[in-house]
Amino acid sequence: MELLDSRLKLFLWGITLSVMILISGLYLCQIYQGDKYIRLAHSNRLRMIRFSAPRGEIFDRNGVPLAVNDTTFSIMGYPLDLNTPEKLQHLSKILMRHGIPMTVPDLEKTIKQQRLAPYRVMKIVPNLTMPQMAELIADYEFPRELFPLSVWRRTYPAGTTAANIIGYVGEISENELKLRADEGYTGGDLIGKSGIERSYESELRGSPGQEALEVDARGRKIRTLDANPAVKGEDIHLTLDMGAQKLAVELLKNWKGAIVAMDVHTGAVLALASSPVYDNNPLAWGVSAREWNAVMNDPQRPMLNRAIAGVYPPASTFKAFMSIASLEENSITQSTTVSCRGGLRFGSHLFKCWKHSGHGSLNVIGGLQHSCDVFFYQVGLRTGIEKLIKWGRKFHLGEPTGIDLPGESGGNIAGPEWKMRRFNTAWSGGDTVNYSIGQGYMLMTPIQIARVYAAIANGGKMVTPHLNPKGYRTPENIGLNPNKLEIVRRGLEAVVSRGTGSRAGRFGVHVAGKTGTAQNSHGDDHALFAGYAPAEEPKYVAVAVIEGGKHGSSVAGPLVGQMLAHLLSH
Amino acid sequence: MYSFWASLKENISLTDRLMLFCAISLAVWGVFCIYSAAAGTEGHGFDYAFRQAAWLLVSITAMLIVLMVGHHKMLEGAYPLFGLMLLLLLLTLLTPKVKGAQSWLGFGGVRFQPSEFAKIALILTMSKFLSRYPPLDVKTFLMGLGVIMIPVGLVVIQPDAGSALAYLVISFGMLVAAGTPFKYLAVIAGTGLSAIPVLFLFVLKDYQKNRILVFIDPMRDPLGAGYNVIQSRIAVGSGGFSGKGFMMGTQSKLKFLPEPHTDFIFSVFSEEFGFIGGMILIILFTVLLFRIIIAGIRSRERRCKILVAGVASWLWFQMFESIGMSIGIVPVTGLPLPFLSYGGSSLLSTFIALGLVASVCVEEENSRHLY
Repeated sequence: MELLDSRLKLFLWGITLSVMILISGLYLCQIYQGDKYIRLAHSNRLRMIRFSAPRGEIFDRNGVPLAVNDTTFSIMGYPLDLNTPEKLQHLSKILMRHGIPMTVPDLEKTIKQQRLAPYRVMKIVPNLTMPQMAELIADYEFPRELFPLSVWRRTYPAGTTAANIIGYVGEISENELKLRADEGYTGGDLIGKSGIERSYESELRGSPGQEALEVDARGRKIRTLDANPAVKGEDIHLTLDMGAQKLAVELLKNWKGAIVAMDVHTGAVLALASSPVYDNNPLAWGVSAREWNAVMNDPQRPMLNRAIAGVYPPASTFKAFMSIASLEENSITQSTTVSCRGGLRFGSHLFKCWKHSGHGSLNVIGGLQHSCDVFFYQVGLRTGIEKLIKWGRKFHLGEPTGIDLPGESGGNIAGPEWKMRRFNTAWSGGDTVNYSIGQGYMLMTPIQIARVYAAIANGGKMVTPHLNPKGYRTPENIGLNPNKLEIVRRGLEAVVSRGTGSRAGRFGVHVAGKTGTAQNSHGDDHALFAGYAPAEEPKYVAVAVIEGGKHGSSVAGPLVGQMLAHLLSH
Repeated sequence: MYSFWASLKENISLTDRLMLFCAISLAVWGVFCIYSAAAGTEGHGFDYAFRQAAWLLVSITAMLIVLMVGHHKMLEGAYPLFGLMLLLLLLTLLTPKVKGAQSWLGFGGVRFQPSEFAKIALILTMSKFLSRYPPLDVKTFLMGLGVIMIPVGLVVIQPDAGSALAYLVISFGMLVAAGTPFKYLAVIAGTGLSAIPVLFLFVLKDYQKNRILVFIDPMRDPLGAGYNVIQSRIAVGSGGFSGKGFMMGTQSKLKFLPEPHTDFIFSVFSEEFGFIGGMILIILFTVLLFRIIIAGIRSRERRCKILVAGVASWLWFQMFESIGMSIGIVPVTGLPLPFLSYGGSSLLSTFIALGLVASVCVEEENSRHLY
């Protein structure tokens, strides 16, 4: 017990000693060096400046610039240096003198935004050009505690031609800040809002620089204590071919719709046009709420990327898929013939063929060539909806293709289960009849149609469409019988060489493909064409969808023909 | 009912009221500091202060309950309690990380840090164990060490180096008080010191190494780890002799200080209350610690002496570390300043520990009348 008590007394000594250490530390800090720290705190000499990294630039496959950075300047300063009306008056006078219209209330409003942190640097005057900045700084009355900082502004040289692909950047929203809390964004940072700018945000972004400055009481820089330079983001070279893209946009000029062109073996997208177009430049520079609403609420919906998010009935372009599914399921062979007398009576309903006089007797090649509806009604009924859905899933219908753009739609594969869920009614034979010619509930995006035709062209491999070579995925072989596929390909060649799609073949390249005319309950029918070339050894696939174009053969066919001809000749 | 209030009254009259006065004054002062500290950063000063005040009421109640129950009963349940705490520490390892560590457990809307309560369990267990097996020979000494290393290991995994350090200091203090021969203590101290280079090279994470390096030279990383040290020193130093006045500190209000209401509460305190305030605070802590130790010296029970040594080591270490870190004389660890830092778990567990010491006082007073 004695031992323990002596040990506890030792504690008392220890406590006394340590407390004396603390008190002397406190004395040194607060009394002995107090003045120094009071001064430091008064002007808090350590200030941090963060500057944004230049974003990675975006080019097409030939190095044509699509998104670049312009240098602009901002005048930066600390709110505490502008805390009196006289100072603001002075600054406003100088700005006005150099043609920058910022009144005292304007400046007050800007500074108020950062009322809570007057020691943190903020943007006082944004968006100056180099000559404006130089003139301003050279003014002998310009307040020394303000300083210029170069900032990057994003511009899109291609503007409307590729806006639906490139997208645009904008200031990070509060929501995005919350979602990306641990990625080092701060308010005012630019972030990709749509398109490639958004899907490759982490590559393009780079890492911002930071500088720790020691400043005097007036906020003037004495020296740099530490600096991390900004690191530019990665450049991206897209698979896009601006020549082809420009052509696609021009071809669509008077229409609403989309054109997609893609390498059949890799899924590399060469053109992806959507009409009408919008300009991404003003969006990146900041637009007023009114301008923004005008773009967002435009009834023409220019911001909808119809190539990947527009959903349409595939109409007769679906017949190529129908042929593959029914040949693979052995519900027909090459020699199976159907007689078309202009319609099919099923139950109490007459399903007409587009050619009211009928096609007579034809097999699968003739069916495709003349786009005979009755042939495919019969084929669909023989194969059955379950097997069609099974094959639809193999071709990944109803799911996004995985293209490296945000906002892609998956379309709708429909089917009995879906109909039960959606409408709580059973799938009928009539639904199957409609389904067989790509009408009714089935919906696809132009890029999905292109992918299916690429698989027909490349021997049964599903590619992943991509715009950045990084988006390449090894194509998935879905195991089609080559002999049966050959029958379908001969049918598609016949469509262009001597059938409904002949206008697609008038541009000097050997095209194979399929027309389509989708019934539209809201107005004129949509015109579609999906094709690839050269027919004997396909390289490229192209799809055109024209809203209200009426006839696939006359309107959409020639567009695809020109696209393929352009791609093969360049 | 009457007898309950009467016995509570009697217990309070028998215990060391000076000790309780010091503790409660510090905690009340803490509530005001939290109000001031959080006012700048979040604009939620009142929320934090209100919650801390509520926790303070809960804590004082808990202390009185412990006082009524008595340290005897608490010591009887020490081993099961220790087991339960180890289980809770294990459970925290299954939870998602908060600020890079897994140290929280949710319990019906209330979150708490088992690592704080484990200190009480550790103190109870060690005082029971060390009085039963005095660490006078190598075998019992090593057994004692073994008991300590279990909770230390668990908090190291979280990773919560601060708590691990606190457990080690508490245990070391209890070993000293239990009469461990100085040569054994020298061996531990020597091992600890020689382990520093090994720890530095192989075990410590980069951020922890940085904290130690910036302690030596804050300007080596003024953007990162050094920033806190520099800003905290400016806060304390600019408080001067009499401070800037309550709610007038600019360092904390302008967000120069990180974590102003928890780890760096002393920086906020001394910026606003100055050297005078700091002296009063340190004197309150000193009186408190002296009264705790004196309670042990007066007690006739071996295990009570060891117990108070544990409580004193705990409060002393966290006070010394937290204040020292604010003025830049020891490296930064994330330990709260007892009574003042925001945090319910820390406040509650400190007051429970004080309840134990208060009960030791009562026991001693009672036995004095007996003989």
